[in-house]
Amino acid sequence: MQTDPSPPADAASSAVPASLAPSASVRHRTWPSEGYRRAPYWVYTDLELYALEQQRIFRGRAWHYVGLEAEVPEPGNFKTTFIGDTPVILTRAADGSLHVVVNRCAHRGNLVCREPFGTSTRLYCVYHAWSYTLEGDLSHAAFSQGLRGEGGLPDDFNKSLHGLRKLRVDTLCGLVFASFSSDMEPLDSWLGEVGAGIRRVLNRPLKVLGYDTQRIHANWKTYHENPRDSYHANILHTFYGTFGLSRQSQESAMTLDRSGRHVYFYTKAGTEKKSSDYDSTASQLRSHNDQMKLEDPSILRWHDEFGDGISVQILNAYPSFVLHQIANSLATRQLIPRGVAQCDLVWTYLGFADEDEATTRTRLNQTNLAGSAGLVSVEDAAVCEMMQRAFADGEEGASFIEMGGKTLESGGSSKLSERAIRNFWHVYRQDMGL
Amino acid sequence: MNLSLHQTHINTVSWLLAEWAHAIDDDRVERIAELMREDGRYTVSSRFNVDRGLPLAIIDAHSAAQLRDRIRSMRVANIYQPQHYRHVVSAIQVIGQTETGLLQVRSSFAVFRTLVTTGDSLFFAGGRCDDLVDLEADEPRFARRHMIFDSRAVETLMIIPI
Repeated sequence: MQTDPSPPADAASSAVPASLAPSASVRHRTWPSEGYRRAPYWVYTDLELYALEQQRIFRGRAWHYVGLEAEVPEPGNFKTTFIGDTPVILTRAADGSLHVVVNRCAHRGNLVCREPFGTSTRLYCVYHAWSYTLEGDLSHAAFSQGLRGEGGLPDDFNKSLHGLRKLRVDTLCGLVFASFSSDMEPLDSWLGEVGAGIRRVLNRPLKVLGYDTQRIHANWKTYHENPRDSYHANILHTFYGTFGLSRQSQESAMTLDRSGRHVYFYTKAGTEKKSSDYDSTASQLRSHNDQMKLEDPSILRWHDEFGDGISVQILNAYPSFVLHQIANSLATRQLIPRGVAQCDLVWTYLGFADEDEATTRTRLNQTNLAGSAGLVSVEDAAVCEMMQRAFADGEEGASFIEMGGKTLESGGSSKLSERAIRNFWHVYRQDMGL
Repeated sequence: MNLSLHQTHINTVSWLLAEWAHAIDDDRVERIAELMREDGRYTVSSRFNVDRGLPLAIIDAHSAAQLRDRIRSMRVANIYQPQHYRHVVSAIQVIGQTETGLLQVRSSFAVFRTLVTTGDSLFFAGGRCDDLVDLEADEPRFARRHMIFDSRAVETLMIIPI
């Protein structure tokens, strides 16, 4: 499904072509000559660069995850969230269509919706009672005719030019994405080969089990790189290796889309013993710790609900979306920058609308493994913050990204590779003109 | 509300709540699993989910064994910035008793977290506890401990139980 509302007068000018030269404020920055094999640390700390990212990436040519169709199931339902720093509202109109508008009154810039979720027949600004349809069109402005012949809006006031700023909307498997850019390819084409990872998991109508927001005191890109980094998974995350949910020697693969923007990788549990290099790989990993046994391993019990043996799949769509399947735990993660050294990671946990209670209980139990108190992956936020601390002022140094090779292709589909991170910096530099 | 029930049990219940808090704050975290019945349940949820009837909890141990596993994982497996907590517990009330004799107890809590690397002590989580307390054994124990934090967001991560 795709909606393409005719944009208000100012919409077209917002999408900045990626080919634009860097702004004056970041012109003194020089990317290391090795290119996408290095990420200079100023990229995580520079305030002007952060502002430019908002313009070129978050308000630029990209699809951004804003929520689920299941979060606004009925006409009149709305959800408020953010794309980058910009507050937005996802609505379902009376005809069932989905809309995303900027949550900022067209009159004086006040926040229109204050609740995280709600139901309404209109979007109403409390400051001067300007009210909008669920599609974002201005329907009424208080005292627009004045009173007793005095005051009021000018005679040439045209309501159709003063609606809420409308974004383009597209959906895939119940996920809703929006873009400030009026010339985006359809979402499915944007995701390319990586769309298959979404279709594999979200194969029928969804229900929301709950939310978990993690506030990470680090630049958003430290987290964006993390789920693209299959190299760290079994090294940093000791819980995984110890309990056999995932080992580097298990059957696994990584898929990137043609543009290099998006990536997903998977691991199949129970395949590691068949591998001839099991002993040699396991002995190299700190995470292989046979002394640790769970008293109650029921938390790890899972069933192969998609019938392909894949126990973990992590999918990362540029620049702000993750979908995970960790055993039977399913969740989206939305990355919201909050200034140059802070971001929010919003986890929305899912089940299927038609599943039985026991299946939902299994998913809820496995929430113990993920999220802000997750036994498997709690380290990620800690590492992002430790990195941000180590970058300090960002004036010198660069990260070294040559695991698996030096090119965008090298490393192939191996998980012991930083290919997906090289590709991230490649597209980031293109989008930023750096 | 039964005021005499409160007056009868407030000292025992206060001791249990304080023992839980001190055990965590003094880095004797293993102790809290002894303060729970083997078939007890320890849950940490956000008020954001509870208010919307959403079942998701960020921590949900369905037995003392699962709580011991979580604490053991914290000790031997997980990696995080060194930190410790200070609990402040208040507004404790015994508000009823179940048919099986469990006391229904509610209280408020605040947890301040000190990050050793930076030395900062910062407010970490605050909210309410809805607990069921079992008086049958020598020591009072939790049959149910449900901690509901008010914030929508968790600062960085929650690795030490609250």
